[in-house]
Amino acid sequence: MSKKVLVVDDDPDVRSFVVTVLEENRYTPLVACDGVEGLEMIQKEKPDLVILDVLMPRGSGIRLYRQLKTDDALKAVPVIMFTGIALRSFLKSQKALEEFKGEKVPEPDIYLEKPVEPQELVDAIKKKI
Amino acid sequence: MPANKILIVDDEQVIVRLLSMSLKSDGYETFSAFSGEEALDVFKEHAPDIVVTDIKMPGMDGLELLKKIKELDPEKEVIIVTGHGDIDSTITALQFGASDFINKPVRDEALAIALDRAKTKISIREQLASYTHDLEEKVAEATREIRRKSNFQRLLIHSSHDAIVAFDQDWQIVVYNPEAAKIFEKKPGDVLGKMTIDELYTPELAQYFRKEAENKANDRDMPWQEMTLETRSKKKIPVRYATNVLHEKKEFMGIVNFFQDLTEIKRLEKELIQSERMAAVGQTVSGLAHYVKNILIGLKGGSYVVDVGLQNNNMEKLTTGWLTIKKNIKRVADLTQDMLTYSKERKPEAELCFPNEIVDEVVDLVTDFAASHNIHITKICDPELGEMVLDPRTIHRALLNLVNNAIEACLELEEENKKFVVEISTKKGDDGSAVFAVKDNGIGMDEETRTKLFTPMFSSKGGKGTGLGLLVTKKLVEEHGGTIDIDTSLGYGSVFTMRLPEQPGDSRNGNNKG
Repeated sequence: MSKKVLVVDDDPDVRSFVVTVLEENRYTPLVACDGVEGLEMIQKEKPDLVILDVLMPRGSGIRLYRQLKTDDALKAVPVIMFTGIALRSFLKSQKALEEFKGEKVPEPDIYLEKPVEPQELVDAIKKKI
Repeated sequence: MPANKILIVDDEQVIVRLLSMSLKSDGYETFSAFSGEEALDVFKEHAPDIVVTDIKMPGMDGLELLKKIKELDPEKEVIIVTGHGDIDSTITALQFGASDFINKPVRDEALAIALDRAKTKISIREQLASYTHDLEEKVAEATREIRRKSNFQRLLIHSSHDAIVAFDQDWQIVVYNPEAAKIFEKKPGDVLGKMTIDELYTPELAQYFRKEAENKANDRDMPWQEMTLETRSKKKIPVRYATNVLHEKKEFMGIVNFFQDLTEIKRLEKELIQSERMAAVGQTVSGLAHYVKNILIGLKGGSYVVDVGLQNNNMEKLTTGWLTIKKNIKRVADLTQDMLTYSKERKPEAELCFPNEIVDEVVDLVTDFAASHNIHITKICDPELGEMVLDPRTIHRALLNLVNNAIEACLELEEENKKFVVEISTKKGDDGSAVFAVKDNGIGMDEETRTKLFTPMFSSKGGKGTGLGLLVTKKLVEEHGGTIDIDTSLGYGSVFTMRLPEQPGDSRNGNNKG
């Protein structure tokens, strides 16, 4: 059975691109449009990997990422951050949140800045599953 | 100073001594001489105020002495002592300017009276002299003061940065300073006292100020105003001007016009606006790069999906990819249009149009998209708002931008079951302008967002907006002479109100407009 990969992104263009890449490489794509839907999907479908956008309505990717990494049942699910935001900006916001919340979460397994070539995405997924 | 020094002259020494003693006891300072010649020497040396002299003396007699003294100083008083009944000599003495005469033998009372009279004359003369002197001083001082003040005023008017033109009650020009000469391009020498208002101003302007003078009873009730001044040589100058109608005891005295040439200021203002806009475009670059990157992501993703569709002969993939590409091409087109609109100056092209019809067009464009996101679009059009001379393109773009923003604001508010409504309304403003309001019950804005709203490349849409939309809207509205106001509350929604005044300068015949 092929592995399940969830893509959480509010941009339909990004979703259709990632879904196509996943299908072409024999993964089973799952989609969610925002953070809330994303969390429901993870809990229900138990994907093998999550590809996560950062800036989204309804619970940003940052919030969803922290929810995953602080949930014992879900923290093992590998996450690829897939976003237009530069890694530097992302880490800065993480650091600020850590100081604010007093909890530390590990850095994302893989951080990809859009746009990426399909092969880069595939390579990143293959590193994890 | 009271006259106190007396010279007594007589060839009879006894008389001199007696008189001298008597006068000294009265408090006078006395000098003695026993001949005319000696008297003259003493006079020259001590300058007595009064001389009492016997008329008959050997050598220089009293009359001769009198003449010499009067030659030396006509102000000195000379009292002549004559023999009894010597009327001829007495008259001669009076003719030569003797102040008084007394008969021999000299009695103290007679002398005292004569001296008092002489002293009174001296004192009156001194006072008169002092008054005359004071008066001359005062007149001179007043003249200097008036000259100083008039010079000051002349310099003030001359050096004023305002052009000052004043007319007297017959509308003759009485003040015309160098700044005025710059504006009206006529030399002061050809204008001052030679021209009337009708020869300097255009007939319209002259008529306007004549009316002002008739209407205004008070001196200072006309504030500074702006207008475009047209000179008789057909030059058009933007000016600020103020007028004072002058009255004296309620009689019309004349009128003063002050003009400030605003040409340079207007030019600088224009330059400033242009450079601010350029700076904004500069700041825009990083924001733009972000937006363009998003478009690129869409295009790359879309072309990959198309490639896959082609390889696998998969029509569904082809369609999805192609739609993505087309959508992003449109985003590039919109962005380019926004950038061009924002960086270029554009004059509104006004023509006869129906504002309410433009609202219909905009509503038609967005209704389907809004409905697909459960947002209801409503319109409330004021039937009073009929045909007007406005730029329909300005209305269309500005309104579409505002409505799109309103829809976005609804999408951003994460409330599942809220009934979202975007309401577009029109009405005729009190000043005759067309008023458009776009109201939503979406996310609204906090104070910080609201203040940043019109700054370049500020987008609350996280890279999904160009950051130019509202700037473009504002610029279009301002070019149309209109205003845009915001009323907003975080979590409850916003109202954007746009007012566009009718364009008076343009022809009411819209047929010749492209």
